[in-house]
Amino acid sequence: MSWRPTALNVSFLTLAGWALFLGVLTGRADLVVVAVPLVVALVVGRRAAAPPALRIDQEASADRVFEAERVTVSLRLRADAPVPLVELLQPLPPRVRLERGCNHVFLALRAGEEVRWEFTLRCEGRQRLRLGGPHVRQWGPLGLTAAETRHRAPQAVAVYPHLAPLRHPPRPVRTQTFVGNHVSPAQGEGIEPGDIRPFAPGDHVRHVNWRATLRLGTLHVTQHHRERNADVVLLLDTLSEVGPPGATVVDVAVRGAAALAAAYLARKDRVGLIEYGGQLRWVRPGSGRAQLQRLLDTLLDASVVFTYVTRDVDLIPPRILPPQALVVALSPLLDPRFVRAATDLAARGFDLVVIAVSPVGPARAAVPRGAVADVAARLWALERRVQLDEFRRRGLTVVDWDGAGPLDVALAALRRRRRHRVLA
Amino acid sequence: MLRAAALGLVAALVAFPLAVLPSPPVTWVAGAALALAGAGVLGRLVPLVTAGASLALIAHALALVIARPAVDAVAAAAFGATLVLLLALVHFAARVRGAEVGPSVVAAQVRRWLAVVAAGVVAAGVLAAGGAVLGPALGGATLPVVVVAAGLGALIAAAGLVALVTRRPG
Repeated sequence: MSWRPTALNVSFLTLAGWALFLGVLTGRADLVVVAVPLVVALVVGRRAAAPPALRIDQEASADRVFEAERVTVSLRLRADAPVPLVELLQPLPPRVRLERGCNHVFLALRAGEEVRWEFTLRCEGRQRLRLGGPHVRQWGPLGLTAAETRHRAPQAVAVYPHLAPLRHPPRPVRTQTFVGNHVSPAQGEGIEPGDIRPFAPGDHVRHVNWRATLRLGTLHVTQHHRERNADVVLLLDTLSEVGPPGATVVDVAVRGAAALAAAYLARKDRVGLIEYGGQLRWVRPGSGRAQLQRLLDTLLDASVVFTYVTRDVDLIPPRILPPQALVVALSPLLDPRFVRAATDLAARGFDLVVIAVSPVGPARAAVPRGAVADVAARLWALERRVQLDEFRRRGLTVVDWDGAGPLDVALAALRRRRRHRVLA
Repeated sequence: MLRAAALGLVAALVAFPLAVLPSPPVTWVAGAALALAGAGVLGRLVPLVTAGASLALIAHALALVIARPAVDAVAAAAFGATLVLLLALVHFAARVRGAEVGPSVVAAQVRRWLAVVAAGVVAAGVLAAGGAVLGPALGGATLPVVVVAAGLGALIAAAGLVALVTRRPG
């Protein structure tokens, strides 16, 4: 770091030159004397010694947050020699808003003094937030010289998509063998009462249905349904996106996928993820908090990678897409490749639910307001309604979600339709 | 607060020529200087303030030429000090715009500016006194010698100044 002259020198030189010139021109000594303080300032303003070294420690209050949560960034400055004026500027990454404090500060430090600077950021959208460290600029006297550097303190904060609570995610039609929260049609140990049958040796006495026994005259027992878990695979369409940065259909779909993952994992289901886009990425189905972390980390990096290549669902191994799994596809249904893949999955007998994220709202937010844009948006919405009806006629289960309202509300209609369809 | 102080300095700057000669041509130029420098202060634009200060300097020169008062080194040094303070203040105000300023920063800056200005005023005083001493001694010198010596001195001073300002300190 070294001192460099600033543009203010030009102003001082201009005025000093004017004073000297007018002094010579008019033959007035007063004007020459006027130039003297300016010249002295120029001379004194030059710093001969090297700028004093600053020690800066930066830390963030968290390295993992969810959307709309806050991160407090703290910086501690310490100088061994006096620093008359130091300017610090922490550039704000996109989709980050300053909540409290200021990311631009001027400080003066005495020798050995430690100053603490703190500001709070509000993270608006999912991202890997990188705080590279502040720009540091030390100013010489009168601002005639400055020394600049960038304090490198790479620090990453993962901003995960918001986890909206989901009370009623789509119920899987088929269950698996492990214990979970879904009532299986299979009989066995459980708490949900099922059929009544005559007593057989080996039955527990506590399963005897005394009311039926008295009515029928012989011992009868109540059978129970097993509580089982299910395999759920979230299929995220990243082939296309519309909307302003941070509020694209992919962002909306990612929020939906995160909410669904959290809801299913809370019900002891195994949840997997397939990012169906320019690059095919997946997370093997699993359960527990670690799996939620894996899913959120994968969703954090979900983005559109342009490609002409059509990815066939045959490429996905069965361990990633188990045959009995409930597949929940989140897509704006803009790319015919994804529509073909979803239709293919449904034709193969997968229990498929398509959550159609409406691209109309995000696209509307990305263009200026106007009568033509309003008409176009309404026409698009009508076309989209026709498209979804066509998918329903083909046998796909489609839920329309505008992305602005809660996903739970959009899924309510589906819950009524699928209530009695559990198979095995 | 910084802008109010800068506006006060602009007013003081314009008052110098008007104090020498409050006649119409000086008033017009001083008025233009006031408008330009005032706009620069309000917009925190150093180039505009420099232009306004240059006009004030021209108005001052005009007033001195027309009125032909006796040389007043104190007023001239005060004028130069006002110019220094005005430029430093507007530049500082422009830099701290939208930023958080620490509690002791402004006070420390004002102290530093006043120290530099005091050094400038002392230098001006020394120069004026030196001129007063050397003036009678140079009275007998022929004009071409004085002009050549002054020109050479001015050239060396300017070259030294430019080298000083543009030199990158190790």
